[in-house]
Amino acid sequence: MRRYSGWAATAVLLALLLIVPAWSQRYVLSLFTLAVITALLAVSVNTLAGEAGLVSMGHAGISASAAYAVAWAVRDQHGLATQLLLALLVTVAVSALYGITAMRTSGLVFLMITLALGVMVYGIALKWSKVTGGQSGLIGIRRPESLLDPWAFYYFCLAILAVTLVALWLFGRSPLGLSFRGIRDSESRMTSLGYATPAIKFAAMMLSGLVAGTAGVLAVWNSQFMSPSAAAFEVSAMAVIIIIIGGVGAPLGPIIGAGLVVGIEHWLSSYVERWPTLLGLLFIAVVILMPRGVAGVLWDRRDGPGSTLPATALLRRSGGVRPTPKPPADAVTPRDLTDVRGHHQKGS
Amino acid sequence: MSLGYLSTQVLNGLSFGALLFLLASGFTLVFGLMRVVNLAHGAFYLLGGNVAISVTAATGSYLAGLVTAVVVTALVGLVSERLLLRPVRNNELLEVLVTVGLAFVIADLCLWAFGGNPRSVPLPEFLTGSVSLGSVTFPKYRLVLVILAVAIAVGLKLIQSRTRIGTVVRAGVDDRETASSLGIDIERVFTLLFVFGAALAGLAGVAAAGILTMRPGADTEILLFALVVVIIGGLGSIEGAALGSVLIGLIDAFSRLWLPELSYFAVFAPMALILVLRPQGLLGKAV
Amino acid sequence: MRMFRSTRRSTRWLAAAAGALMLFATGCAEDAGGGDGDESTVTVGFISPVTGFAAALGTDMKRGWELYWELNGDTVGDVQVQTTYEDDAGDPEVALTKARRLVEQEGVDMVAGPILANTALAVADYVAGQGIPTLQITGADDLTQRAFDPNILRAGYTSSQSNFPAGTWAYDEGHRTAVTLCPDYAFGWESCGGFVSAFTEAGGEITKQLWNPLGTQDFSTYVSQIQRLDPDIVFIGSAGGPDAILFYNAWQDFGAAGIPLVGNCCFADEVFLREVGDKAAGVQSFTYWAAGRESEEVSTFVDAYEERHGEVPSLYAAGSYLMAQITAQTLAETDGTVDDSFIETASGLTFDDSVYGPIRFDDYNNIVGNVYLTEVVEREDGGFWNAPAETFEEQSQFWTMEPEAYLDQPVFSREQTQIQ
Repeated sequence: MRRYSGWAATAVLLALLLIVPAWSQRYVLSLFTLAVITALLAVSVNTLAGEAGLVSMGHAGISASAAYAVAWAVRDQHGLATQLLLALLVTVAVSALYGITAMRTSGLVFLMITLALGVMVYGIALKWSKVTGGQSGLIGIRRPESLLDPWAFYYFCLAILAVTLVALWLFGRSPLGLSFRGIRDSESRMTSLGYATPAIKFAAMMLSGLVAGTAGVLAVWNSQFMSPSAAAFEVSAMAVIIIIIGGVGAPLGPIIGAGLVVGIEHWLSSYVERWPTLLGLLFIAVVILMPRGVAGVLWDRRDGPGSTLPATALLRRSGGVRPTPKPPADAVTPRDLTDVRGHHQKGS
Repeated sequence: MSLGYLSTQVLNGLSFGALLFLLASGFTLVFGLMRVVNLAHGAFYLLGGNVAISVTAATGSYLAGLVTAVVVTALVGLVSERLLLRPVRNNELLEVLVTVGLAFVIADLCLWAFGGNPRSVPLPEFLTGSVSLGSVTFPKYRLVLVILAVAIAVGLKLIQSRTRIGTVVRAGVDDRETASSLGIDIERVFTLLFVFGAALAGLAGVAAAGILTMRPGADTEILLFALVVVIIGGLGSIEGAALGSVLIGLIDAFSRLWLPELSYFAVFAPMALILVLRPQGLLGKAV
Repeated sequence: MRMFRSTRRSTRWLAAAAGALMLFATGCAEDAGGGDGDESTVTVGFISPVTGFAAALGTDMKRGWELYWELNGDTVGDVQVQTTYEDDAGDPEVALTKARRLVEQEGVDMVAGPILANTALAVADYVAGQGIPTLQITGADDLTQRAFDPNILRAGYTSSQSNFPAGTWAYDEGHRTAVTLCPDYAFGWESCGGFVSAFTEAGGEITKQLWNPLGTQDFSTYVSQIQRLDPDIVFIGSAGGPDAILFYNAWQDFGAAGIPLVGNCCFADEVFLREVGDKAAGVQSFTYWAAGRESEEVSTFVDAYEERHGEVPSLYAAGSYLMAQITAQTLAETDGTVDDSFIETASGLTFDDSVYGPIRFDDYNNIVGNVYLTEVVEREDGGFWNAPAETFEEQSQFWTMEPEAYLDQPVFSREQTQIQ
């Protein structure tokens, strides 16, 4: 029975995303758009966490950099192609910076370094005002003519999200995708098998960075202005919280997580003055009570399209300063990689 | 550029570095020994500073403010560790996320309790005024900060290497099972450590309230500096935190003087460089 | 993995609760929006940051707005003014979403706020497109200049406006060299722009322009530099709050008080005075809000505000109070209707006295009015406030120039703080 409930939940989710905005007011549509774009950023964090076991707390830095690139290009009256090219260049450059500085670490050290990098991007956005406009930001940005209609733009974002998810799913089955999982499951094993793990991590960061950059471009097209708060720590942390709520590694988890977080945040802040306290308590409750996330409840672990990895499977090993302890006895060997998901379930 | 002017700048950098050390030492201690990345550390700092300001204003005694602030942050640390961190013990990611939620909550409650105005603490008579050394005039309080930081650094090092607590703590971390079999209550040691780290953050808040202001957002700003200090110095290392603090303090002061256009890159560049060349930090143990 | 099993039940409950919450939120959304078209009420959407780093400004704004309606009643003629408050947390993205909610969901007739330049411009951009009358008090020059919109009125001054007289005054006082220190973003560029343009026009020389990045913690470096440059006068164009306090503490610590210092509107603001207190006595600044000015309008507002909140109201509270006053007077003129001509009517109002003194509006919907040279003085009860020492009348956002000639100039930037 659970086999069907997973597919049913997926169908409901899809229907919700496709149908509701078509009949809703612009305000509701703007929340849906925001949720879809937020979900895309969470997908990028989720890829890194679910596939390679690397949890980044600084991804808003990458998406905001791409968004600034688009903003500059638009203000300089450049066409769509130049905008996207510049965004791509900046995304690649910033992701490479993240990759180079963090590729030799893992676990908490990786988390802290990405966090620091993210906050650095925020600091630069805030302080390098000659280029970024500082706190006042950059205004007068317009998205391409054909996407000006908010409904068209929403469905465009949704399509990008869908394409990204399918592409990542296919990628997960490629040899490189499998080596990402090898790192997640046992980095020391991969190293001893002769894999250049830093290079694999770098590749994972670049892939995830591209998705984050896409999210950044959509975000600036959506708000049509740019300000440093897009790179704020809260945005990065929110992405991680979203994937926890959605279930780490679950392809559709970020959508559910983003929907809940965006919805609750905007609803709470309109009715409750102390909403940040409430939101913080809600996060703590979710983390303590349901570490496998909402998706983990909706989808069966094995069968549905939303298979999740329990968050408890992440970061349980130490990385960084102290010597890495022996890999767990049931660690996956590369030969098992194709069956990595099923293998994990044994533990839970 | 005169020597006097230069030495003023050096002292400026050092005093800011001293403040960073007070904050970073608690952060790195908790990380190094418990492997908890406490992202609520900045919130503890904000809480400590705010409590000190309010209590000092109410009682007229700076000392009362200081003691209350440290006690309150320690208590909040205790409750957080027992109630929120224990249920997710041994899962590093969940621990971090709990501290993120905690940071949101504490920062917002600080806003509710103390208002959004930037506030600083009135210093007692003996800490105000300046000291003149030849051509250099320097505020007394900033010198006191440097001395305080040095004292705390030496104290921490001694506790770590010379006392039974230090031995227990090191044993607990290096090998939990052995420690338990020796009859050491690891859970208690961890609680104690977390509370101590929170108290240090509270103390840093009180110290900062003398030259900086406590206001919404001050928590995350200062946390970034602490993070960079700890990453540069080497995670978990007290000496590393000391070295990192001095470096960042000086870089911050001189970059604004010499490279005003680039001062925003100045703190960032050494971190990236060190991570590439020496991922474990200047004084961190090899991975 | 035991943890997972033991919490599965609570997990389900939480998921169910979260889902219910979402449904409820959507439900609420469908219900609202009925305020529209009601003849007997005018609804105002009031956006300000009451959480986050700018919470102090937003709270003051809300208090100023509330106070006006409390003192004067919330009915004008036979319409009742209802306010829906929204928190933007200082984030333009949030501010924009909130503006959408207010306009599309709550169906508000007009919008007031927010305050930070980025949030204000984001909201202005949106509401202008919707044709919703909007009142703002943010300082961003271009709001009523190059980005002028007939549906927006600024119940305040531009960032540069009150600093033109400061530059002229400094020269007339005999100062020939000046150093400026302003925050490194649009507000600082514009504040400095006013002073620098007028001071150099008069014949003075700017020896150095220092720019502090936003969020600077340690101002001692800047103070040492100013001491070394030893100018005749220092101009501080602060956005107020922590920057001003941190700067002034360092300024005093390093004994630089010997160099004359003059601030802009927001340097010695009430947030600064509450914190710095007696150390600030005698500090001079150029501003339009002087809580110590002898005027019935000011004392009515200040006394009532102090009675309720125990502190001297800030510029933001005063600005919001004025926004409410303008709303009320315009509604009285239009018999309670809010339509496309609302802002035009508002712009035609003149006040013989207001919290800012006598004011009227120019063709670009910005105040033309008094700028005061204020001094921090001690009150009888031991508190401190800004009292005017000199008044500069009829100050326009276009300085002494024709609007067209002024608008031919680019907006002030870090590279250009001087009108050619």
